Amino acid sequence: MSAEDEMLPAYSQQFLPDVIRELTSSGPISEITPEWAWGGSTGQGVRVAVVDTGIEYDHPALGGQVYGGVNIDWDDTAKDKVRYEPVDQPIDLVGHGTGCAGIIHSIAPEAKLYSVRVLGTNMKGRAYQFASGVDWAVENGMDVVNLSLSTARQDYFAMFHALTDDAYFKNIVLVSAVSNLLEPSYPSLYSSVISVASHAGRDPLTYYYNPNPPVEFGAPGIDLRVAWKDKGYVISTGNSFAAPHITGIVALIRAKHPDLTPFHIKCVLWACAANVHRGNPGAAS
Amino acid sequence: MINPNDPKDNPLAEELGRLVQAVAAAGKATLPGSPDALLSSIVEAAASIFGAAAASILLVNEAEGVLEFKVTYGASNRDLVGTRIPLDQGIAGYVAMSGQPIAISDVAQDTRFNRDFAQSTGYVPRSILATPLTSGERILGVMEVLDKINAPSFGMQDMELLGLFARQAAIAIDQAQSIEHLGEALVLSLKRLAASDAEHPSDSLLVVLDSNPDGGSQNDLLKLADLLNEFSRLGEAEREMGLKILTVFSEYAQNQRRVNLGEGWR
Repeated sequence: MSAEDEMLPAYSQQFLPDVIRELTSSGPISEITPEWAWGGSTGQGVRVAVVDTGIEYDHPALGGQVYGGVNIDWDDTAKDKVRYEPVDQPIDLVGHGTGCAGIIHSIAPEAKLYSVRVLGTNMKGRAYQFASGVDWAVENGMDVVNLSLSTARQDYFAMFHALTDDAYFKNIVLVSAVSNLLEPSYPSLYSSVISVASHAGRDPLTYYYNPNPPVEFGAPGIDLRVAWKDKGYVISTGNSFAAPHITGIVALIRAKHPDLTPFHIKCVLWACAANVHRGNPGAAS
Repeated sequence: MINPNDPKDNPLAEELGRLVQAVAAAGKATLPGSPDALLSSIVEAAASIFGAAAASILLVNEAEGVLEFKVTYGASNRDLVGTRIPLDQGIAGYVAMSGQPIAISDVAQDTRFNRDFAQSTGYVPRSILATPLTSGERILGVMEVLDKINAPSFGMQDMELLGLFARQAAIAIDQAQSIEHLGEALVLSLKRLAASDAEHPSDSLLVVLDSNPDGGSQNDLLKLADLLNEFSRLGEAEREMGLKILTVFSEYAQNQRRVNLGEGWR
């Protein structure tokens, strides 16, 4: 391993070409192929929330597929300490949320996108704003939720655990980027979410499964051209951009197979990962 | 008549008041140089290792919702230290808000991103790598390096390497902030202690802790601590010389006082 390889972002080392473990599927699961899982799907009608810095919804990279959303700000005077306001302007504070939305749209062009802005000037309330955003997505009928952010705050461990279990039981798939720093990050480390780190490949539909959790999947996240604020584009790097690839693929799967639950979908993702090879369909798994 | 709740009549409370002042002064006096000097050297080292044209550290000011340039190095047409940018804008703001590092390059020259950045810094970068400065769960600020020389962008490997520099910087900032607030922290914990003991209410103690005993002399004490710290930084000989001058002056002042009181020379 070169010195360069050793310094990938945290949790991404598992997805280096010479580290990726080759796995074999067997039994009926080995009959699941990407063609069966998402072939021909455009993500039509699937609702995808992007919990982030907002979305510049008139950005050309989004094809007018943003259907609404909410801005969540800290407010000491409000009953729940946060204020909810509907999204009525195409504002992304930074460009990051637009970047994530653009990746999802490029994979699932007919999925409906929703912006859940939870980042703002308040530093103290940000973990709570984030939790409120996940809750909003769960309570507003989203099918897939992209979480390209996380919190390291231990006192939010239980709150996020309850939220993610709630999503799981309500048939909502949460896709969570793991932290780029080697630190605990919630909710990415829970088994009820699909956690994602980066690999250095460029093909948007090529991803890997890591048999040594907590991080389960590796998708492109390095030196990607992503949409940014002011109708712009930048080249960017971070696990933040790996998660939306899996979110897009999940949207494709959900549009084609609406009866699949979050645990089915994780299984389908596993079966279609580039490092999982189809064995003998007749053998017991 | 002696009133035990009057700090003047309570030697313990009075002594404690003096102790709090001394602790605050001692904290300042032992501050390892100016933390800015250490941070400057970290930023300079980071810039040179990454081959970056510029680098800086910005600190979070939670109350005002801004990031403030603390130290800077390299290309910029004016001194940025002290310049503030809103927390909810730009790359550094994103890093502070999200607690996540990010690498960005190929920023189109005509975006508002660049105009804003140019306005606030007088310098338009083509590539940025920014990482949070954290202490436990708290975000202290952001460290960023701009424009890798001889490369179009900062790579993945740069991200983790900058994280190592950021850790050093965060420790330095955290320690300096703790030491600076030593006196305040002591007052706060003593107050909690005094208030928590319902059986033995220590009103006089609270009075002492609540009062800012003789703000003038407190400030003078801190100035003196700064001065001693400065002497120490200059070197051992300078520190000794400084102390000697102060001692001589103290003796002189005491003698003057005796003369004025009519005690005469002994």
